[in-house]
Amino acid sequence: MPPKNNKGGAKAKETSEAKQDNDNSKSQTVFERAQAAYDLTRPPYDKEREELGGLHKLSTVEKTAYASWFCTAPDELNFLSKKAQKELWKQVNETNRPLRRGQIDQPKRDQWGKDRLGRNIGDYTVLQYERRIEKQARLTGLKALGRSFASKRLYASRGLVDSSTGEKYTLTEEDIQAERDRRMEMAALKKDLYGEKMGPYSTDPEWDDVVPVPQMEPEGALSAIAYPEDYAESMSYLRAVMAANEHSPRCLRLTEHIISMNPAHYTVWLYRFANIQHLDMPLLDEIQWLNGVALDFLKNYQIWHHRQLLVDHYHPIIAGSPDEVKRFAKSERAFVMAMFAEDAKNYHVWSYRQYLTRKLGLWENEEHGELDSIEGMIDDDVRNNSAWSHRFFLVFSNPRYANPDSQATEADPGVPADIVDREVAYAQAKIQLAPQNQSPWNYLRGVLVKGGRALGSVKGFAEQYVQNLGDVEKEEVLSSHALELLADIYEEAGDKGEGGLVLAEAGREVGSHTLRVLGVEAEVSEGG
Amino acid sequence: MQNRTATTANTGVDEEVVSQMADYTTRGSRLSIDSLYTSEPLIVDPLVTATSTAQDRTLDQCLPLLKAADSNLEYNANGVPRLHRERHIKYLEQTLGNLPAPFVGADASRPWCMYWALNALSLLGADVSKFRENLIVTAAHMQNKTGGFGGGFGQTSHLATTYAMVLSLVIVGGESAYEVIDRRAMWKWLSSLKQPDGGFQMSLGGEVDVRGAYCAAVVISLLNLPLDLSSDSPASAAGLADLYTGLASYVQRCQTFEGGISAKPDAEAHGAYAFCALGCLSILDAPHRIIPRTLNVPRLISWLSSRQYAPEGGFSGRTNKLVDGCYSHWVGACWPLIQASLGAPSQPAHDSEFCSFYDREGLIRYIMSCGQDHSSKGGMRDKPSHRSDAYHTCYVLSGLTSAQHVVSAVLAEEEYVANMAWKVSPYSDPQLFDEQDRLNPTDPVYAIPQRKREEVMTYFLSKPGF
Repeated sequence: MPPKNNKGGAKAKETSEAKQDNDNSKSQTVFERAQAAYDLTRPPYDKEREELGGLHKLSTVEKTAYASWFCTAPDELNFLSKKAQKELWKQVNETNRPLRRGQIDQPKRDQWGKDRLGRNIGDYTVLQYERRIEKQARLTGLKALGRSFASKRLYASRGLVDSSTGEKYTLTEEDIQAERDRRMEMAALKKDLYGEKMGPYSTDPEWDDVVPVPQMEPEGALSAIAYPEDYAESMSYLRAVMAANEHSPRCLRLTEHIISMNPAHYTVWLYRFANIQHLDMPLLDEIQWLNGVALDFLKNYQIWHHRQLLVDHYHPIIAGSPDEVKRFAKSERAFVMAMFAEDAKNYHVWSYRQYLTRKLGLWENEEHGELDSIEGMIDDDVRNNSAWSHRFFLVFSNPRYANPDSQATEADPGVPADIVDREVAYAQAKIQLAPQNQSPWNYLRGVLVKGGRALGSVKGFAEQYVQNLGDVEKEEVLSSHALELLADIYEEAGDKGEGGLVLAEAGREVGSHTLRVLGVEAEVSEGG
Repeated sequence: MQNRTATTANTGVDEEVVSQMADYTTRGSRLSIDSLYTSEPLIVDPLVTATSTAQDRTLDQCLPLLKAADSNLEYNANGVPRLHRERHIKYLEQTLGNLPAPFVGADASRPWCMYWALNALSLLGADVSKFRENLIVTAAHMQNKTGGFGGGFGQTSHLATTYAMVLSLVIVGGESAYEVIDRRAMWKWLSSLKQPDGGFQMSLGGEVDVRGAYCAAVVISLLNLPLDLSSDSPASAAGLADLYTGLASYVQRCQTFEGGISAKPDAEAHGAYAFCALGCLSILDAPHRIIPRTLNVPRLISWLSSRQYAPEGGFSGRTNKLVDGCYSHWVGACWPLIQASLGAPSQPAHDSEFCSFYDREGLIRYIMSCGQDHSSKGGMRDKPSHRSDAYHTCYVLSGLTSAQHVVSAVLAEEEYVANMAWKVSPYSDPQLFDEQDRLNPTDPVYAIPQRKREEVMTYFLSKPGF
């Protein structure tokens, strides 16, 4: 005995309401819509029950109606008493609500979960929610396509035949590109929907076979770094391929990526070189790349050891051709000079230059050679001690005449006298430009020692810079380094009185600490 | 100073010098600062080059601080600012905490961060034992099964990071910290780094330099590792007798014509490598025996003494380079070893005047005025134009403590020379700084608190073999 409603009218009314609802529903939140739907299906007296604080607060009639509504499905009405049936139908008509067993649960605001920003999805507008559902559907579809790609790749790798076409499964470059695009889209969707980030490696099918080894920092680790995601991901792939001892072009690209983020990572550099060795990569390509990195990271240390390893590795290949060696030397020198334009005293670059000189045998001063280049640098800045130091190495370690076992602080009879003369004259000419510049003075001493000459051989030269010593009125000291050298010259000649005067003078000129140190030096020499 | 006019005539800075002198005199009545530390050098060449320009810029930033002319700072009666001890402690503790993303460049040197912070904290008298448990788990995580410590988890073992990690463990001390180290694996790994020329590679396939010589000697001696080479090592195949074979002669080949020490043969003399060389030699044998036998000491002293500049008072690392606070340690720590090299330890023949091979006052002035970050950030720095960092905080403070103490060798046990005893006494002549700004002393060879060095050596001496 269902109630007789004017179905047509109700429908018409519903449609217009639905339309209105539909417009509202787009701005309504998901929770509000669910709450509204729930309200529509609530049994009679449910609200009252809730508000009064329990079933026992309802009257007997109300209680019965509530229980009947709640427990009875339409085909079970016969189980109720006639009176109860009558009351129930009355309720149905009054509330205009459907009668069915198993009411929907009261919605909770947080039952849809949270989005990546921690916002309740229940607070989404319906329109926003529909868009989210569409994205989830899209993601599911992409995943399915990804699975079929993975299967196809597996079949192709096993040489299986596709029974529908009778041909072997093959994976084309288009397939791989499509998968790559798919992963990019999936990564974007996952990030958008769930805040899950997929880095460039987990989205690249080329890296599917690698199980990354993440850095599991122990609880309480000291100086722990909050790694940027890109860095953390690439490092976890690096650990995996290093553990597998893999050497491949993709590993090279991985090292390049990590180096761009942290060039001081020695492990990555050593591993990169192992890859180059293994793959027998062309030297010049790597050098070319390295030049850019070196100019980007001027203070970096590892770059220069890497470069040295490269040259060690390739030298045997070019060693047989003097032209090739010359060409290579020229381009290396050009690059080193580009580095010096940024920092003319870069210790690592100078060390590399010394290494290169030995390795390629750049001792003799061919046209625009090493010695000319160094002279140019000394002309640019006569105080550049690194350039002076390199010159000393160039002149006094030349294997053509130098004794390879000779210490830097001892005489080497192998060095020809004309070279010693040339270098003494060179140092003296540079001292004249700026007599208080210590570099050429140290150089001059070094040359005299190497040449086995007495310091006294330059006494006259040094005295130019120290005049009328001891005469307070006329005294003129242009260089404390000349004073120090003179002190040693006097000592060499056994004239301690004069030496003491010079030392005292040096102390006044340069500061008390130098006096003390020079005093110690004198004492050490006397003691010895 | 009476010869000022004789030299300034050629420099064209006569008036400037005179005005600075006047400035000094007026201040001098209130603050006693010798003009050596407040005026430009007496001899300055007129020729301008890149080097002299950089030097002038450095003087411009240092002089106001050295003259006590910075109105934002509090100076004592000697014109020396206070040590910002609490701020430095806070800064160092931050280094041991969680570091933000920009520190990614330090990912391969985290053991260094730990050593710098822990060592500097112990110099400052802060409690480092509270970091013991966390250091132990961190170290265990960075140790490789094949021996040694990398810069982080999964990184190749490296001598520098191994040195830093071992020292960190020794600084926090205690058996549980010592026992983190797998000594057998360490010994095998060190054997594989040993080169036929006597030196050490920094890592397998890495560079060979004098840092390697020092770091290896420190690790071997602290842990009392057997000196025999592992039989499967290339150095053993090359016929070397043990881990120390040829090491002193490798160091010897690094002395340059200037008298200083370079990173490797053929290169330029550099302050940091001078310390590595002297430290390494002082472990191999007593300094008074091995240093004169290996190096040209007068030339080395001459070069080292040239590292201190006036008026800055700080040290530079190379000829014609700028002062940098970190050389307060690298160069400053050479002096006790040089001093020890001049006489047998049993006869401390040198008087107190002899204890100052360099100008302690100048160095202390530079460190307190220019080497401290005076902002609320704390920490120590290269020079006033630079930001403070953990590296400089460690080495500037190490330099400060060596300037504040006289350290001399007193005894060398013949069997085990590395376990040398050093007599430490406070240096106060003149007393420039407030007594509460005196730091704890440091071991001149190992750059950690001496007591901690003795504890670990005693521990491992009782454990021969593995």
